[in-house]
Amino acid sequence: MPPPERPQDRGCALVTGGQRGIGAAVAARLAADGWPVATLARSGGDVQADVRDPGAVRAAFAQVKERFGPVLVLVNNAGVRDDGLALRMSDEAWSAVLDTNLTGAFHCTRQALSSMLSARWGRIVNVSSIVAERGNPGQANYAAAKAGLLGLTRTIAREMARKDITCNAVTPGVIDTEMTAEGVAEALVAAVPAGRVGRPEEVAAAIAFLCSPEAAYVNGATLAVDGALGA
Amino acid sequence: MSDSPHSDEQILQAIRDELTRIKVPDAEKATMSTDWRDLDVDSLDLVELVTALEDRFTVKIADGELKEISGVGDAVRLVQRLSDAGAPA
Repeated sequence: MPPPERPQDRGCALVTGGQRGIGAAVAARLAADGWPVATLARSGGDVQADVRDPGAVRAAFAQVKERFGPVLVLVNNAGVRDDGLALRMSDEAWSAVLDTNLTGAFHCTRQALSSMLSARWGRIVNVSSIVAERGNPGQANYAAAKAGLLGLTRTIAREMARKDITCNAVTPGVIDTEMTAEGVAEALVAAVPAGRVGRPEEVAAAIAFLCSPEAAYVNGATLAVDGALGA
Repeated sequence: MSDSPHSDEQILQAIRDELTRIKVPDAEKATMSTDWRDLDVDSLDLVELVTALEDRFTVKIADGELKEISGVGDAVRLVQRLSDAGAPA
C-alpha cells in the first residue's frame, strides 16, 4: 500500500498575525513540520487584510488559495491590546479589541471551514489567553474577546466534529513578546509558578501538536501554556 | 412539466453525486421519496449540499427555503422552481 497522503501535501497553514511574537514562532514551527505556511497581517505578511473586514478576509483567503493551496490549518493569532480600567474605557477601545481579536477570528474561521470541508480535514487553533479564564484589571475588552474565543472554539468543534475538523484553543500565560514587553509587572512574573516567562516557541509547540494528525480526537479543548500560572 | 433547463432526473443525480462527495452512506440509493433522516443527513451536510447545488445550477437558495427541505424530493422541486424563475423567457 502507498503511504497515506500527508495533509501537508494537500493544502497550507495560515497564521494570522504571523509576523511577530507568538504568530511568527507558530509560522516557523509549522513550516518545520512540513506545512506550506502563509501569514496574514494588516501590513507585511504574505497576504494583507484587516481581519475586522469580512470582504478583505475573503479576498485574502482567495489569494492564499491561489499561492499556497487551500487552507487546512488556521491559527487565529491576530490580536491587539488597548488597556484601561473599564470605568474609563472608551467605546473605541472596547470595539477595536473585540472586533480584531474575536470577530476577526470568526471571519477567518468562516472562510477556512469551506476549504476544510472540501478536504474533509482541518485544524483550527485559536490563540486565547490566560485572562480569558482569570480576568485581569485593565483588560475588560481583551479578556472578554479572549473568553469569547473559547466559546467560539467549543461551538466550532461541535459543529465540525464529524468531519475530521477540530477546533481548539491555547491560553498562553506571560510570554516574552513585544506585546507583553511593555508593562509586564515584575510582580506578575513573580506570580508564575515556573518562575519565568514563557517563550513563543513553547506556545508554538503546543499549537503544532493541536494541528497534527495525531491530535484528531482532541477537539474543543483549551490547552494552557502558562507555567502553571492558571493552575 | 415546465421549461426548466434541468430534468428531475438530472437534479436527482446531482444530489446523489454531491451526497456521495459529502460521504453520506448509501447516497446512491437516494430517490425522490428519500427523507434526510433515512440517509442520516445532518444540518451541516444539508448546508454543504445546498451550496454545491447553488454552484451547479446557478441558483440562490435562501436560508428560509433551506428549512423547508426535508428530503430529496423537496430539494429537486426547489431547484426546479428556482431554475424556472431564473431561466430566460
